Amino acid sequence: MADFRVANKGRVNRQKTVSFSFDGKTYRGFEGDTVASALLANGVHLMGRSFKYHRPRGPVAAGSEEPNALIGTSRKSKGRFEPNTRATVQEIYEGLDTVSQNKWPSLSFDIGEVNDKLYRFFSAGFYYKTFMWPKSFWDKVYEPFIRAAAGLGVSPTEIDPDVYASRYLHCNLLIVGGGSAGLSAALTAARAGADVVLVDENRELGGYLLSEDTVSIDGKSSVDWIAAARAELEGLDNVRILTRTTAIGYYHENMVALAQRLTDHMAVVADNAPRERMWRVRAGEVILAQGALERPLMFDGNDRPGVMLAGSAQTYLNQYGVLVGKTVTVATCHDSAWYAAFDLADAGAKVAALVDVRTSVSDALVKAAEQRGIPVRLGHTVTHAKGRLRVKALRIAKMNGNGKPEGATEIPCEAVLMSGGWTPSLHLFSHTKGSLIWDEESGVFLPGEKTENCHIAGAGRGLWGQQNAIDDGIAAAKAALDSLGQAAADAAFSVGEDRPGTGITMKELPTDANSATARAFTDFQNDVTAKDIRLAVREGMLSIEHIKRFTTNGMATDQGKMANMNGLKVASDQLGRPAPKVGLTTFRPPYTPTTFGTFAGYHKDELFEVTRKTPIDSWAEENGAAFEPVSLWRRAWYFPKAGEDMHAAVARECAATRQSLGMFDASTLGKIEVVGPDAAEFMNRMYTNPWTKLGNDRCRYGLLLGDDGFIRDDGVIGRMSQDRFHVTTTTGGAARVLTMMEHYLQTEWPDLKVWLTSTTEQWATVALNGPNARKVLEPLVEGLDLSAENFPHMSVAECRVAGFESRLFRISFTGELGFEVNVPSQHGRALWEALHAEGQKYDVCVYGTETMHVLRAEKGYIIVGQDTDGTVTPADAGLTWAIGKKKPDFVGKRSLDRPDMLVPNRKQLVGLLTEDPKVVLEEGAQIVETGVKSIPAKMIGHVTSSYWSAALGRSIAMAVIEGGFERDGKTVDIPMPGITHTVKVTGTNFYDPDGSRINV
Amino acid sequence: MAQLAHHDGVTVEDLSFEGKFSLRCRPEDQSAISAALGLDLPQTVGSMVRSETRQIICLGPDEWMVLCSEEDRSVLTDAMANTYETTVHSLVDVSFREVGLSISGPDAVVLLSTSCPRDLRVIEPGSGTRTIFDSAQVILIRDGVDSFRMYVWRSFYPHVRGLLSAAESELSFGL
Repeated sequence: MADFRVANKGRVNRQKTVSFSFDGKTYRGFEGDTVASALLANGVHLMGRSFKYHRPRGPVAAGSEEPNALIGTSRKSKGRFEPNTRATVQEIYEGLDTVSQNKWPSLSFDIGEVNDKLYRFFSAGFYYKTFMWPKSFWDKVYEPFIRAAAGLGVSPTEIDPDVYASRYLHCNLLIVGGGSAGLSAALTAARAGADVVLVDENRELGGYLLSEDTVSIDGKSSVDWIAAARAELEGLDNVRILTRTTAIGYYHENMVALAQRLTDHMAVVADNAPRERMWRVRAGEVILAQGALERPLMFDGNDRPGVMLAGSAQTYLNQYGVLVGKTVTVATCHDSAWYAAFDLADAGAKVAALVDVRTSVSDALVKAAEQRGIPVRLGHTVTHAKGRLRVKALRIAKMNGNGKPEGATEIPCEAVLMSGGWTPSLHLFSHTKGSLIWDEESGVFLPGEKTENCHIAGAGRGLWGQQNAIDDGIAAAKAALDSLGQAAADAAFSVGEDRPGTGITMKELPTDANSATARAFTDFQNDVTAKDIRLAVREGMLSIEHIKRFTTNGMATDQGKMANMNGLKVASDQLGRPAPKVGLTTFRPPYTPTTFGTFAGYHKDELFEVTRKTPIDSWAEENGAAFEPVSLWRRAWYFPKAGEDMHAAVARECAATRQSLGMFDASTLGKIEVVGPDAAEFMNRMYTNPWTKLGNDRCRYGLLLGDDGFIRDDGVIGRMSQDRFHVTTTTGGAARVLTMMEHYLQTEWPDLKVWLTSTTEQWATVALNGPNARKVLEPLVEGLDLSAENFPHMSVAECRVAGFESRLFRISFTGELGFEVNVPSQHGRALWEALHAEGQKYDVCVYGTETMHVLRAEKGYIIVGQDTDGTVTPADAGLTWAIGKKKPDFVGKRSLDRPDMLVPNRKQLVGLLTEDPKVVLEEGAQIVETGVKSIPAKMIGHVTSSYWSAALGRSIAMAVIEGGFERDGKTVDIPMPGITHTVKVTGTNFYDPDGSRINV
Repeated sequence: MAQLAHHDGVTVEDLSFEGKFSLRCRPEDQSAISAALGLDLPQTVGSMVRSETRQIICLGPDEWMVLCSEEDRSVLTDAMANTYETTVHSLVDVSFREVGLSISGPDAVVLLSTSCPRDLRVIEPGSGTRTIFDSAQVILIRDGVDSFRMYVWRSFYPHVRGLLSAAESELSFGL
């Protein structure tokens, strides 16, 4: 097996060999290797296939920006396969299983590579143009094809078994990036006593400084200086260091999200140990010291395995002790690649040529190259990288005075190190909507105006060289400390053997070949070439946002970390407009791909979302209830007996309640205690009804409108005393109603002496309905005469029920004699059981929300949100009786007089009876005029509630219909698939219209 | 849920029953109400006062939560009812609305920070705040450097308790 490991180089632990597999073959690396570095050490560059053309690809970078080397990884336990893992980030551990992606039957021989030969047909906008016509092909042919082809890697099919954690963290100063600028900033701020959090996405602190081990700082080697800095920081109580932690998003008010990888590098992970943790950091000040990302050069074949960024080759050498090739060619337009060439040469590689597009570079660099025997080719271009599964040679040519290439030669090599310059990493800064300023001289965007308390230090703002970065880190820390009101001690670190440098940026390199067939890639992962960008411009795309969507440049999982600036350069050239006029696409969180688990944190299974349960819920569960969700609550829906379906259970529950006695858990109803000398006045202003004359110990149905005059909520309200009301709201409306009331109280009527308190959860509520409701209560009630004379319908009293302090209402939502018993929630189940036991004498029937809905519909009682939809007025719902006509004002009053609220043809709430009594209409069904057959028919309303009524032996329904009241006795049609139902419009009070059953 | 590990650094326990009242009033009535309660209403949001049987925490400019023993509930309501004629206020019994938890131990702050976005460092012992724990509104009181109480509406309690258990388990790995 080939060995590209170099002695005495790198940070891997050579005492510890680690075995892992790639595509079924076992490889060995060292502790501290990534999958990419370990494979490169074994001479393997081919790690994947590209998305569209299935071109063979190897790593082009060494870090999180990697677009090519995406692999599937799995642990040897169920459900732990993950696609699209970056081989340059995943650390190896004993037993790690990895596979390449997007290939069949094998990575080196892939049938899909035929796409590469057909590339002329897959040009930019291919999908938009090809899949347009015929229209009928869309559903059956095009969409399935596109869906099958879309996406890289195979989605996991099993539930993620891992545990994810999250945490909030507050600090004075958050520093993103642990390179030279980040470290000097951290040291400066930490020594001043600030509370510092330092994060870095890599295994170790040091950043690019780790890749420049010839640099010295304060007389120490760069590596020793980093170690000393880390030791000092770790020794301080006011510093927290998080490595393997990526700052993925920067949000308002200095909230930065960090994704920390906790166990993905470990060979043995304990059961239930957290895999990743999301930190939500609220920082006083933030320093972004994220450095810069290197740009590829654009030439034909720049994506071949073995062609990689020069800085990354330097990283493989200095951090992992791996030579990316024993014979390499370097192509650059920036000084930095010269140092990469020197490092590789010094480590024993043969640098076959150092090709620089520029015609002149500093004498020192040229001299240093000559000393190492490296052939220097200034003013040269690269026209082609030869090789398919691995680069074999680089074709270069000298550019004549007109910039035309001539006299091309091929230089055999195993790897090509390229550098197209460096792009400051401003993703997080862009998340803050900070402005970017175009720097014409260096051809990059730099940070402009800031919207958050942040500072950008080092290469992130275009500074080059370690001394510059370190000084800038110190300056950023001082500025941050100043904002925090803390003094900074003077700090200085002196860099020796620094490697400052400059460079230029390039569009596609000049070529003597047919430029129409040149495949110079801008976006490696999405297979976008420079030619595609030019085509997009020719086809009329002017803005980079359009070009991006047309070509998919920068839309891959690396979010264009390599593609954006090169694409912009080409687009700007083709458009003949300066880059800032073409624009830069918006960076959005997350900075790097982040697992769903990290976002979800603890929220899975039963902790996925709050499920509110009443104190009586446990009884319902033990007694076989079916449940339904109602806002955040789960409520008992119906109580099926053996062999019963919902229809049968509900029919039985309805009949039993009307016949004798039913009981129902009404605890979820919202409750608000309105207290104070102005309580009645407040109620007058909020609700449509009059409250002044409501006697103590009496209750009344209350109707609440929005200021638009439409029904918002309703409920029965009891007056407990002169200054105290017990308000009930709908289950789903509780929080909304309280908020609305508080809003009016605080902003409109601050003069009122009244206060609101939510008591929804103070009380458990049991509703008793049926002819025997009084009988079951009587023996359990103390301190109250329940007789019809003493405690008539719409009364409320404080008493004891089953020994518990209680608020007892005589109200009915069923049309039967009814009571609602409120006791402290803690005693809810005990009360329920006491009533249930006593109720046995009357064959008590426990019912759920469905029966409640049917019983109330039989009486025409509305449910806000079901029979109303936010456009229904009290008059539309037949509730004008609930309006206090003499009141000077209430919320929504003025809106009720608007002309369009008074037109006769408004949609009004009516009852419907089908011609065939067995037909139960569908809720939501649309209504048309009888006899209308033309399509489309005008829809004049819809069914809001529809049930089988056991009491009436037929179906009933409610609906809102244009001019509904005028239609009383007439018919309308309800067309359904295959059949049209003709129904008669009626009133909504279907059962016991005189109300004789309530007042007993 | 999977078997959850216990973490030695923190203990989570349910509190036994306490009387709880929401008290609202205007500034001009505060001194009379303080006299009736036998404790001066704290003036700064978050601050607390306590006697042997009662504790009062200020939750807003005109809002307090009064905690008392079970036996004291009726004593307190009677005393306040007697003042109502001259000093208007709203006293609402919420004893059963909320459930109390105690969270204590060296890792109490870390455990709370898994779902509470507040900067817990600035909550002094002997003070508290109304805040959220995940999606649930809670009242958080810091009794000591490492000991907290948290009051949560009863239907949100299982969710909060479940999150605390999941976080406790996760913390036990020391990662």
